Amino acid sequence: MRPSRLPGRRALTFTFATALLVSGAACASGGGSGSSGGAQSITVAMHYPSPPKAILNEFQKQTGIKVNWVEIGWDDLQTKIAAAASSNSYFADATDVDWSKVGEYAKTGWFLPMGKWFSASSLKQDMPQLGTFMTHGELVGMPFDASFIVTTVNSKDFQKAGVSGVPSTLSEFSAALNKVRTHGMSSPLDIHFAAAEGLSTCWYQMTAAFGGQVLDSAGNPQFTSASSPGAKALTWMVNAYKSGLVPKGNINIPDYTGFTTEMAKNRVAAVLCDYSGSVGSIYDVPKSSSVVGQVRYVPTPGVSGPGANIANPDGIGIPKAARNPDAAAKFIKWFTSTDNQATWAGLKGPGDVIEGFPLPARLSSLDLLAKSGKLAQASELATLLREHARAPFPEGAPPWYAQFSNAVYTNIHQAAAGQETTQQAVKNIASQASQLKASG
Amino acid sequence: MDGEVAARLNVLARRRMLPYILISPLVVFIGALSFYPTIATTVQAFFRVTPLDPPARFAGLQNFRDLFANPVIRASWVNTAVYAAIGVVLSVVLGTVIAVALKQRFRLRGIVLALVVLPWALPAVVEAVIWNWMYDPNFGVINSALHSLHLIGSYAVWLGVHRWLTIALIEIVQVWQITPLSALIILAALQSIPPGLYEAARVDGAGPWQAFRHISLPLLRPAIAVAAVQALVLSLNIFDQVYVLNGNAPLGSSVMLQTYITTFQNLNFGQGYALSLLVTLATALLSMATLALLYRRAEPAA
Repeated sequence: MRPSRLPGRRALTFTFATALLVSGAACASGGGSGSSGGAQSITVAMHYPSPPKAILNEFQKQTGIKVNWVEIGWDDLQTKIAAAASSNSYFADATDVDWSKVGEYAKTGWFLPMGKWFSASSLKQDMPQLGTFMTHGELVGMPFDASFIVTTVNSKDFQKAGVSGVPSTLSEFSAALNKVRTHGMSSPLDIHFAAAEGLSTCWYQMTAAFGGQVLDSAGNPQFTSASSPGAKALTWMVNAYKSGLVPKGNINIPDYTGFTTEMAKNRVAAVLCDYSGSVGSIYDVPKSSSVVGQVRYVPTPGVSGPGANIANPDGIGIPKAARNPDAAAKFIKWFTSTDNQATWAGLKGPGDVIEGFPLPARLSSLDLLAKSGKLAQASELATLLREHARAPFPEGAPPWYAQFSNAVYTNIHQAAAGQETTQQAVKNIASQASQLKASG
Repeated sequence: MDGEVAARLNVLARRRMLPYILISPLVVFIGALSFYPTIATTVQAFFRVTPLDPPARFAGLQNFRDLFANPVIRASWVNTAVYAAIGVVLSVVLGTVIAVALKQRFRLRGIVLALVVLPWALPAVVEAVIWNWMYDPNFGVINSALHSLHLIGSYAVWLGVHRWLTIALIEIVQVWQITPLSALIILAALQSIPPGLYEAARVDGAGPWQAFRHISLPLLRPAIAVAAVQALVLSLNIFDQVYVLNGNAPLGSSVMLQTYITTFQNLNFGQGYALSLLVTLATALLSMATLALLYRRAEPAA
């Protein structure tokens, strides 16, 4: 009997994806976008649930554009964007532009420049994170939320441990956490340590808290010296894990839900790299939280005072193979308008909220929410966004960001797990960054 | 007369063509979805292909050299070999044990059979998520059970700390999923063995173990070969369980996960093609070797 080849499902998937990449064969459209008889339709592929149907219908009534919203998980969406764009195939008219992909998209030209439809200069004041989506003066996507990294603390646990006031420096913060430890919570600090993007972002945040940044504007590593903010931040994080300040299990909790559950279930008293919006959307939700009303956003503790908050917003852009770019641009304008941004965050009640939506991208929307009292600590968040939020890479993420981030989270994870020293981790990350920069 | 011969020939020709006509849609389908991508992948594996640095350029063996120079990818080959070894041995041994047990007549056998098949029917991602909860270092049932039994002093972190422990625990999930199919393949073969052989052996004084060893096992070898090959293919292509349970961490990473990372995260399509070509070759060669070792040896015995 001749043996038969039995490729596994995953192998078939890869083979099929490969076929798409190599041949440039058309992907399934999945949405039937186009225009017929004057009515236009567009496909919007996002990793968020759709806005309420009634509101989308309202948009269709106003503009004649029918929106076919497709929700896809973040990882799958990035794979689809890459596969479709590499084979020059239609996939969607508007889709996610993650802040970390801006350099990559600018270099590959996978997304249409937005300058034709949007004026960056006039929007910048109301959208403080617009710069994250600009590279070489070109707008690659429009921010549709204002996600940024924040520090949250359980004020009840802190008070119980005798911590008065808000710790504003890292040494005060550590002292406060040690007090919480002596009051029965053995590992009160939540930090990502799984080998995932959240760990990389947390290191950028901590580097900013130590007063520096990881790469300079030319992409050179700024953390090679032991006295650099990046190296200090890495060592501080790993020591926090090894000393037991961070729960041991954090080494392998890769997803955001698992991470925030620790705080929601009161197993930790502080989260160092939390997400803006977590208080309202997770910690203050009675059915899933036992710390309702106890958690507060605080300024990020830095070396000698409050540090910066690293911005990691989501954007929306128009792929180069879009069939209806003008209609997609109209939709993006509507989707990111002041009123709608506030609506997605709860201005008009929970029925109109986009589930998991962190914060509006516009300050004007935050002001509306602050006035209405519909968003927990809206004015604190507005202050953090206005005064402290900043892009992790001021010149935009480099095109080789994905590989760089992979090196960052892999090495910090390994250092925390005891598989390499912090010095080795710093050296490996720096070496990878230099190689990537050299290869362009 | 000539016309009659011609008509007969025509009918014969049409009859001869019929099988080809019938299988042609399948040939086109397989050709488009399997052969063409395989050939294209093979060719592109020798090119530097990345959208970050177009256009594609001939690179000879450079992609392969780069892959073997990468310590994470080298480690992933070793990990995958371990996954495959554990997966094949455990799924075949457990599959045989389950098949022998299910061959017996007992009450609720149908329900037990359905329960045994369940892990095979569930998607790998769903199973990995369920096991992830069980392994959870903070509230997982495994920690809870071991702690209640005083076997561990405090909750342990099972995944992502020790390489071989991580691989073993991930492979348990894989074995959990692939064993039912092995059991069904072996059970089907077991049920086809004529009962007279066992009866004759019993008359000759053979006990159950001797009957299994000298009758069942030799006759089961073709089925075991098929079960081993399916376990081998699935283990070499392990992805979902590794990704869900261990994320992108290199410790415990598999070749298929590295193929995904190389291709779709790093956008190095050339190296991704080279890696998938190597996986395909390894799968084909090892499958053929397994069949040659188990199946062909079984033929004289059968």
